[in-house]
This record gives sequence, structure tokens and C-alpha cells, in this order.
Amino acid sequence: MALHQACRLVRLGSQFTQRCLSTTPVNSNVKVHFPGSVGITIKKRHEEVLKESKKDQYETKTVDTDSQALQVQISSSENDASILTGVPEEHVVNRRVRVFRPAKNAMQSGNRNMKLWRIEFDTQERWENPTMGWGSNADPLSNLSMAMTFKTKEDAVSFVERQGWSCFIDEAKEKKMQPKSYAINFAWDKRTRRAMK
Amino acid sequence: MLRSALHKVGPIVNLPGRFSRYSCVKICQRNQSTDNRIEVFVNDQSVWVEPGTTVLQACEIAGIQIPRFCYHDRLSVAGNCRMCLVEIERSPKPQASCAMPVMKGMRIKPDSDVSKKAREGVMEFLLANHPLDCPICDQGGECDLQDQSMMYGSDRSRFLEHKRAVEDKNIGPLVKTIMTRCIQCTRCVRFADEIAGVSELGTTGRGNDMQIGTYVEKMFKSELSGNIIDICPVGALTSKPYAFTARPWETRKTESIDVMDAVGSNIIVSTRAGDVLRILPRLHEDINEEWISDKTRFACDGLKRQRLTQPMMRNREGKLAMCSWEDALPIVAEKMVNTKAEEMSAVVGGFADAETLTCLKDLLNRYDSEGLCTEELFITDGAGTDLRSNYLLNTSIAGIEEADLVLLVGTNPRFEAPLLNARIRKAWVHNELDVAAIGSKVDLTYSYQHLGDSTETLKQIADGSHPFCKRLSEASRPMVIVGSEVFKRDDATGIHAAVATIAQNARLRSQKGGQDDWKVLNVLHKVASQVAALDLGYKPGIDHIRKNPPKLLILLGADGGAVNKEDLPKDCFIVYIGTHGDHSAPFADVILPSAAYTEKTATFVNTEGRAQQSQTAVSPPGFAREDWKIIRALSEIMGSPLPYDDLDGVRARMSEFSPNLTKYDAVEDANYFNQAVQLARLAKPSLLNQPLQSSQLSLADFYMTDPITRASTTMSKCVRAANEDLPPDL
Repeated sequence: MALHQACRLVRLGSQFTQRCLSTTPVNSNVKVHFPGSVGITIKKRHEEVLKESKKDQYETKTVDTDSQALQVQISSSENDASILTGVPEEHVVNRRVRVFRPAKNAMQSGNRNMKLWRIEFDTQERWENPTMGWGSNADPLSNLSMAMTFKTKEDAVSFVERQGWSCFIDEAKEKKMQPKSYAINFAWDKRTRRAMK
Repeated sequence: MLRSALHKVGPIVNLPGRFSRYSCVKICQRNQSTDNRIEVFVNDQSVWVEPGTTVLQACEIAGIQIPRFCYHDRLSVAGNCRMCLVEIERSPKPQASCAMPVMKGMRIKPDSDVSKKAREGVMEFLLANHPLDCPICDQGGECDLQDQSMMYGSDRSRFLEHKRAVEDKNIGPLVKTIMTRCIQCTRCVRFADEIAGVSELGTTGRGNDMQIGTYVEKMFKSELSGNIIDICPVGALTSKPYAFTARPWETRKTESIDVMDAVGSNIIVSTRAGDVLRILPRLHEDINEEWISDKTRFACDGLKRQRLTQPMMRNREGKLAMCSWEDALPIVAEKMVNTKAEEMSAVVGGFADAETLTCLKDLLNRYDSEGLCTEELFITDGAGTDLRSNYLLNTSIAGIEEADLVLLVGTNPRFEAPLLNARIRKAWVHNELDVAAIGSKVDLTYSYQHLGDSTETLKQIADGSHPFCKRLSEASRPMVIVGSEVFKRDDATGIHAAVATIAQNARLRSQKGGQDDWKVLNVLHKVASQVAALDLGYKPGIDHIRKNPPKLLILLGADGGAVNKEDLPKDCFIVYIGTHGDHSAPFADVILPSAAYTEKTATFVNTEGRAQQSQTAVSPPGFAREDWKIIRALSEIMGSPLPYDDLDGVRARMSEFSPNLTKYDAVEDANYFNQAVQLARLAKPSLLNQPLQSSQLSLADFYMTDPITRASTTMSKCVRAANEDLPPDL
């Protein structure tokens, strides 16, 4: 509440200062557009889909001339299940998915969690809920990284593609096996020698 | 008691005297054509392993993880916790698998009843003296003892005596100690000795009275001290700033990249409800292994203080007042449109990401301005920044482990790049690497030959008259590392030319004679943005601004102190885009708040030239926006929007400038060393008679170097503790 009031006050004040600084009168029609706003990307995507569907028709036609009835041609729009899933469009076009295998927690020695592939979405705003102090957000997809696992990277990618999300793969960083020896602690001519403290 | 048990193992193992870790590696390399691996059986499953592998590692290869407390992949084998006991056929007792090398045909039974019984026994002993304070312990939820007691602990205790209690130690403002919880695995002692190279931790007393500590109360003075929090398998060493803040299951982990130095350590950012709570290391064998520096780990509280959260403009009284984006951007746009190209400049600071650098360059280039500078300096004469090999750490960080001689010039890697220094120390300990240094005589945590700090020495080595040249030519894989601080000097070109000559000579005279692809010349940068900026064609240093006083100056997080109000013309309109109200924001005319490194998906290129992606962990505070989006929005208001509108578009443009910027995690070889040396000679370099000195000499100089660390209370506590040697209230 206080913040809102402050913002409004600041806004009024700033229009005044703007007049002082600027040589032209205040342009109240200025619209600042930060990239990534939903409406524009959805519009762009519709155009792309339209273009894509035209291309598909064309491709299907050419393939059909020499193929049998059994042959199934999968075009990108056929593979895209996002039209059927009912996921709101803003959560399809705008989301960047990271396909990854979780890194080991540096605090623990266990490595069970590192074996399966997961998907994770770009982080959206989170806030502390004023009632209980819990973390809140408005992103229905943010918990998917905890709910879904995949045996292979390919499985994850094909799932992501079917949902119509764009994704990138973060290859897991592998640990190198290091030669270990107890005797080296006592090697008399090496810097690995450990003084008996 | 435990040690004596291990000594009994000795005769059974039948270790040849000279059979050591690295001699075994050499043997492997020599016999690469003949496969000398041996077969062992883990749970009757056949596994082929290199000779010298331990039983624990053989089990790991077979996919079975042996429980452990004292064993750590990157520390020496202690063999004192006994948790890794396994049954081995025809051995009378279970063996400590971490210290036991495999033998031909060995049958290991990690899942047998004997093995399980042994672990249960060990666990019972460990828990006898461990307090039952998991509910108030910060390690709860990510504790090895907790995890393993779930598997091997008994549901009741047979221990009726009093539990041991140990007094807590104060070892500084970063690491909290609750020594009653300690199980004496000695991982922290070994880390301090072997990795950090600061022998300040040790054990006193024996048996039940054994304690870990510093003996007299003092600060654990290491730039890597936070890592002992990670390696502690129980809650004896926990993070002081993070104490009682969160449980691991409440936090979200974002795998990202650090920008506190030019190493680009891989990190995990733990967040809850839009707050960065802590930063942990993430494994990357070629960069930071499993460690991070204290600045990386603890400076994250600086992300919440002194932040710019709303655009600001100077009002009629000349004071900065908050405003909205709709107010601020048109003013900047109008100024930019009405400023002549040669009177428009931009200076970028140390935290700028490659996306923003690309957008800013495109924006200024569109208005015919070439005034794009970096705050950090580099040479411009000779080959300058035209050849990538001139400004990269060409050998790569992991390459240090293959080197046999390192010459450091004008750098203190311990504080400029702690992880690089840890790598040098690793090679020094394990590979008998020799180190020599020209510059300030500082404690690098390993012994080195100090060749003085005069430029005369450098000149002598370059022309071959110094006795050290003999050692350089004898080395088969020499490395020369020059710190970026020397480029602040007036004779930067001369020093770079001398270093390049030394490197080129060493390469040609080394045993391979320059025939292999071993690279000798290395430049160690201090800030995360520099390599990307140079890749994109930014001019190093602000000479351009001095020569062409700007009417409009964009400062992109330039808080290093290179640009001051007094040096600029009175009528210069200053636009500051950045995160913190630090050095430059107070004298700006318009402030545009942007996102810090934890708040954006962006590309950073480390000193090796390795592009890496940071991920958004939290959203920028208040009205702050991602930097490249601000510039894109500005370009639209200026009437000529940049031809990309999403991250993929910017990155496509980035790779048009330099394809390596989007080849993530790849190090592209840079070359043309010979040509660089020849071009440097054309510039007729000279050397001044000033000593080569580092600005960071002691640990107190390490902590506060940039806007984020200057805003961090933890870092200021560290400086105080390092200066005053542990004030009692910390």
C-alpha cells in the first residue's frame, strides 16, 4: 500500500522534473516495451504456425507422391500436442526449458539424485506470501522439475518438443576418477607427505 | 585405536614401496597400448579397473556407492572413520575400502551381511557421542550422518554413559562451529592443509578427547574457507551468515555461473520466495572442481543491499528522484538522438554480460558511434585485442595440471583468482610443479622462487640473459601467467610484449620445440566481463573518452572508479545502467536499474575464453529489468528498434560477432602467438623502471572489490576480522 502511494507520488514528481529537463512537452503516450511481453510473442507465434502449416501441406504433398500409405510423416505441427493439452498459450510460447541432470549437492556425498534427467523452466517472479510467509508464485510449471524425471536426455527432449516448448540441453558435468593411495601420505620425497599432526 | 587397525591392514595390502598415486598414472600412460587393467568382482559382477584403484572406487565404477565420512574424492585418504568397511573374500576382517587398493581377482562384497554389520557397528560408535540436535542443526536435511544413519543406524541406543561435549571455537565470521557434533573425520583439517594450503586447523588430544581446532583462538585465514562447510559431513561446521535461515527442502536450486572473478566458477544458487539465501559450488572439473572462493559464496547478501530498484532522474534541484521507465527512457532516447556520434560513449564494468554488450554495441554503432570502452584495461598497441591469444588464459585452468613450470608475472592469483591458485597448488602438491614469480612477494600457499619485482628481470628473461631462462628451456610444459593489473601501468605494452616474448621463446625452446599444441602465454583477468567485451570488439580502457570528451556517456555498471565526474565535461549527460548505488550512480543524470548476475539468463566468458550461461534464480528487485532488455526498449523509443526481440535473437546476433560466445562450455583454441610477438615488436615497446606490484597483498584486500561485495555486510565483517585478527563480537 505504502509502496503504491510512494510510486504514485514519485510519478507525479517525475513528470514535473521531466518537463524541466526535456525540451519537448511530456509525451504521455510513450509506451516502454521490454522484450518478452506475452501478447507480442503469441502474435508472432501465430504467424509462424500459419507459415509452418502452409509449409507442411506442401511437404506432405511432395512426399506423398512416392510414399506408401503406411508411411507416416511427422511434421512439427503434428508432433506438437500443445494445442490439445489445454496449457495456456502464454505458458507454451514464452517458456524456455532447460533439460538437465541435477548436479551433486556439495553438502552431501550421495549421488542418487544425479542419475535421471529433468526439465526446468525459466524462473518467474516469486514472492513471500504475507499471510504465512511462505513462498508463492504464479507459475504453474515451476514445480515440474520436481515432479518429472526421464531416463534419457532424448526422452526429455521429445516430451518438451511435444508440448511445444523451446528447450536447450545442459550436459551434466562428469566427475573424473582420481587415483587414490593411502601410501602417498607417507612418501618421504613427495609434497603429498602429511606431517603427523 | 582406529589408526592401529589400519596399520594392521598394511602387510595384507602388500604395497610396493614406490607404489604411489602418480607413479601409477605414469605407468598407465607408458603402457597405453597394452591394457593392464585388472579384473575384480563386486557382488559377483566383473569390473575391469586400473591397477592402484581403491576398492571403494572399484565399487563406484560398478555403480555401488560405499558409505563414507572421512573419504573425499579430492582429499588424501585418511581411513579413520571406518564407515567404508566392506567384506572381501578370503580376508579375515572387513577392510576399509577407501585405503585398500584392488588386487587381481579380488571379490568384493559391499552388500553382504558382514559389510552391513560392520557399518552398523561403526554407526553405533559414531552416534554414541553425537548430540541428538538434528531439529536445531543447520545441516539437517543435507547431512551425511543423518542420511547414513537412516540406512545403518539402530533404532535404539545401547549407550548409557554421558555424551561427550566439546566447546565451540570461533574461527571467523564465515564458519560457525558446533564442535560437539564433530565426528573427527578430519576432512576440514585435510582441506586446510592440502587444498587451501593454510595449516591452521589440526587435531589436539586423542581418543575420546580428540578435538579439531586452531589450538589458540584465531581466524581460519583462507580465501577458500567456506568449502570446509561443504565437506563437513555433519553439522559441526556450518555457514555463519546462513545460520537458521532455511532448510534445504524449502529452497529452490538454480545452477548458474559466478561473476566475482574471471574464473567463472559453477555455482548453485539457493533461493526461497525471491530471496537469494546462499550459494554453493557446482562440480566442473575444468574450472572450479568442487570448490568456490569465499567471495563467491558469501557475497550474495550484497545482492539485497544498496540496490537500485527504480529508475531515477535528476530533478530541478539537481537531486536524484525516483521516476518511472516511461519518464526516464524517452529522456535518454531524446538525448541520444540529439547527440553527435563522436560525442557519445559507453563504458562497461566488470559484471556486464555478453548479451548486453552485444545490444549496447549494436545500439551505439547504429548511431555511428564507436565509443565503446571497457573499464578494465588492456593493451591496444601491437596486436592489441585483434588476436584472441593475446588476452586469454590459453593453457586453460585444467592445463595447469599438465604443466611443469609456472612463471607468474605481476599477479597475486591467490586473491585475483582463488580457484586458479588452488589449481596451481594442486599441481604443486601432486605433480611436483615448480613455480616462480616476478612481482610482489606474497604468500601464495605454496613455495615459489621469487625473482624480484623489477622490470629489469623481465627484460633479462625476455632477452635470454637471466639464469631463469635455463629452467624455462629445460621445462617441457612451461606456463607464463601475467595478471591483468600490469595493464594499468604506463608500460603495459612493454610488459605484455616482454611476457609474450618469454612465452614464445619458452615454447620454442621447450623439449617439444613448439611442435605440439601446448600454449605458454596466459593472461589472467580480474573481472568477468572482460573477455566477452574484447571478443565483441570493445576498446580496453577509457582513453577514447579522454581524447573525445563525451556529451553523453552510458555507464553500464562501471563502478571500478575509472570514470569520475571531475574527468568529464560539465555538460556531459550521464546514464547509469546498473545494480547498485555504488561509485558511479551518485553522479549520473539518469539511473536505469538492472539485474544482477543471479537475476538474469546471460552469457559470461571466463578468462580461458569459455562461454557459460547463468540462469535466472530470482527476478530483479522492484522495477529493475534485465540489462539487454533495457537497451532494446531504449532503441525502440529512439525510433530504430534493434532487430531482435528475444534471447535467442540476441544470441544469434552475438554469434555473428563471435561464434565462440554461444558455444557454451567450449574452449576454442586461440593461436598466432608468433605473429602477436612480431606485431608487438613493431610497437617498439619499452619498460619503465617501476616495480611490478599487486594491489591485493593480504587477505583483507581480497573481500571487497566490486559493487556487490562492497554492499555485503558479511564481506565487511571479513575485512574487519582479517585486519583486527578476530574481534570477539564476530
